[in-house]
Amino acid sequence: MKTKAAKRWIDRTIITMMAVLGVFMLLPFAWLFSMSFRPPAEAYKMPPSFLPPTLDFKNYRAVLGSSIPFLRIYWNSVEIAVLVTFGQLVTCTLAAFAFARLNFPGRDSIFFVMLVGLMFPAQVTIIPIYLGFAQVGLLNRPIGLVLMYLTSSFGVFLVRQFMRSQPKALEEAALMDGAGYWKIFYRISLPQLRPALSALGIITFTQTWNYYFQARVLLEPQQSMTLPIAMDLLRGYLASGNLSVVMAAMSMAVLPVILIFLLAQKLVIEGVTMSGIKS
Amino acid sequence: MQPPARRIKSDLEKAQTRAGYLFVLPSFALYAVFVLAPVIVTFVLSFTYYDPMGGSQWVGLDNFQRFFTGDRSLQIFWNTLCFAIFAVAGNVTVGLLLALALNRAMPSFLLYLFRLAYFLPVIIAAAFVSIVWGYFYGDDLGVINYYLIRLGFAPVHWLTSSRTAMMSIIIMDIWKNAGFFMIIFIAALQGVPKAIMDAATMDEPSYWRRFFRIVLPWISPVVFFAIVYASIGALQVYESIVILTQGGPGDATRSMSIHIVEEAFGSFEIGYGASVSVIMTLVILIITSVQLLASRRWVRY
Repeated sequence: MKTKAAKRWIDRTIITMMAVLGVFMLLPFAWLFSMSFRPPAEAYKMPPSFLPPTLDFKNYRAVLGSSIPFLRIYWNSVEIAVLVTFGQLVTCTLAAFAFARLNFPGRDSIFFVMLVGLMFPAQVTIIPIYLGFAQVGLLNRPIGLVLMYLTSSFGVFLVRQFMRSQPKALEEAALMDGAGYWKIFYRISLPQLRPALSALGIITFTQTWNYYFQARVLLEPQQSMTLPIAMDLLRGYLASGNLSVVMAAMSMAVLPVILIFLLAQKLVIEGVTMSGIKS
Repeated sequence: MQPPARRIKSDLEKAQTRAGYLFVLPSFALYAVFVLAPVIVTFVLSFTYYDPMGGSQWVGLDNFQRFFTGDRSLQIFWNTLCFAIFAVAGNVTVGLLLALALNRAMPSFLLYLFRLAYFLPVIIAAAFVSIVWGYFYGDDLGVINYYLIRLGFAPVHWLTSSRTAMMSIIIMDIWKNAGFFMIIFIAALQGVPKAIMDAATMDEPSYWRRFFRIVLPWISPVVFFAIVYASIGALQVYESIVILTQGGPGDATRSMSIHIVEEAFGSFEIGYGASVSVIMTLVILIITSVQLLASRRWVRY
């Protein structure tokens, strides 16, 4: 039998090891922020820095002053992520309310058909979407991506599950009092959903901020790009000796997600984990 | 004559039906346009030679035959499977080890910091972290090689040798995603009832034997879920490879996703690209159902 002291010693060793490993996990981020403050002339000088050598925002100004429409690209990312997040919250809660609270013929088969969608990768829908967007003039327009991400089977599923775990006595009482379904949804169900919706909103925002595959296919001109695809472009344009400027752009690109994570770590982890537990 | 109560009920039912369809409509219409219809069209396209100018032709299984007989496409298929196998094994194993290490009493600020460090890579876009890792993996100016040389080792051609490039991408993938599985496994480990753990500690003093005999079977449904989930993601691998190696050197790291985009939108081989994406979907479906069947057999619920 191990003694208590031995056990505590093991605990401490493991925690120390995890701390060291944790520092290594964060090194790429430390490097990226520090390099963004290095003078471009010293960008490739060794050793690399993992703490900012100065606090001079010159590289950040260089990104904004470059030939690449960085602000426009940033705005595209913000616009898509915000619209998609709100859109999904609306479409998913509406559908989830119907699936969880209403009785109508075909309800369960419609729900099943929507769940099947979780199995299809983006690769198997991209070709027709590209051809269709070309037909209707949505190619190279951020709004096309917004439309395409505007609902999600996963979101519907998540909110429905949450709603089913809540008591429905209030809704039934309201129905008896003659309230319409819209009113019941808006006044009674929606306020109860707040925890599920904040998790869904945060996870949708970060996911949309990070999407790459479809954006890469559907958005070609620089004016219409989102940040993840533009970073690759920036690397090509600015990198000729200008690593520091690329990292300044990158720091700005990752900032919103890092801020969200620092402020709402619990919600983010909850959201991401829930998005995993869909099956 | 109908009793009035019944009529009220059927009015109510009618109203409920109408409300139900209206509430579902926005989601379902978007889903039909952006998921259902494209899947069906892709499936049809995969049997055609698509030519927007001169009319398309039905070519039967030609596209599929082309994929499964071409040396290049077979290598791409194998690359994708190889990446998936090692990335899944690595992510799930490392995630489980991290979870075991963190599943102990510790001050809550430490837990916050650990979750921060291990989970941060999960939520940052693969496109962003791949660019950073590209500089880490550089041959002459790379951060890792600089320290290898300082420590007296030979530098490694992380991304420029066909023998190591795939391994380098897998290492980055594990760095990026293991934290996700860690979080899932921590939740699972905390679900193991304390009474069972206490009893187990009594008659099985060895930590690892206790783990394999009691803890692992208990959390096995979550492990199986993690494997399925990781496989689905890994088979679609795209941006990390595009950014780190563009599929090279040669075709050493080219994945099916890259192949689809290059063929369909680079060479405008729409029909062939569609067939590759159908194959990818089928592989995902097969792996998912095999794993689900296997889990029904092996997992102790």
